[in-house]
Amino acid sequence: MIVVLLILHALLAVALLGAITHQTISVWLPARKATGSFVGRMRAVAPTSYANAIIVLYVATATIGAIIYPSYRLSIRIVLQQLELFTANGAFELKEHFVAVGLGMLPAYWYFWRQPPAGDYARTRAVLTAVLAFVVWWSFLVGHVLNNIRGFEI
Amino acid sequence: MNVARSFPVFAITFAAAYAILYVASVEYNWALFTYHPALEEFGWFVEKPKEGPAMYWYGWLATSVLGALAIAGVASRLPAGWAQRVWPGLSWVVPVAVMLVFGYLLRGYFFR
Repeated sequence: MIVVLLILHALLAVALLGAITHQTISVWLPARKATGSFVGRMRAVAPTSYANAIIVLYVATATIGAIIYPSYRLSIRIVLQQLELFTANGAFELKEHFVAVGLGMLPAYWYFWRQPPAGDYARTRAVLTAVLAFVVWWSFLVGHVLNNIRGFEI
Repeated sequence: MNVARSFPVFAITFAAAYAILYVASVEYNWALFTYHPALEEFGWFVEKPKEGPAMYWYGWLATSVLGALAIAGVASRLPAGWAQRVWPGLSWVVPVAVMLVFGYLLRGYFFR
């Protein structure tokens, strides 16, 4: 069951990573003219359309992560400590705190991205998106590395 | 979608208060409850490890959410004149500052 949840956690994280990356790029590097290139189309997406999906995916990914977290504490973290993999251990500690802090930003993120985009809060919207993108990317990469170190041996 | 006029103040205050309460909960271990994963048991507030490690993360989240809900609830009832002075940037400045604090608190993992 834990393996199924771990795979589901990873799949949701991939979807979240894609959504928040598209939104971040379209906010910080918007396309000034129509283009048919891959990068151009990525920059030209409608960022507002991603907001609700990002919130749902963030909460779902974090919830499943919280469910499988005890298995990590019992089976993985102890091994990381025994192997003296301090950087990997610390990176995961940061991941749990960054994700927790990101959860608290979601109501504000939702408000500033709601339809129609709230007032003239473009900077707030852009920075909130970038911070959440950083949290998601950090969490994804750390989770991926830890999975490579000790994944599925749970 | 219509949003209550007080919601922006609530959301901004919640983001800031939650981040501060979370880092304080971690640093001072203000866990509302403790989970013992080896025993699959919960206990109120901070309990020492029994068999295996004790997990406080869920309790820190609960403390932070409840505290931030209370603070944001009070803030959202501020008079309109005060509410307009709440800077939207607080919703990201405080969380980013808290993330930097965590980087500092956990520096021992990376610099040995």
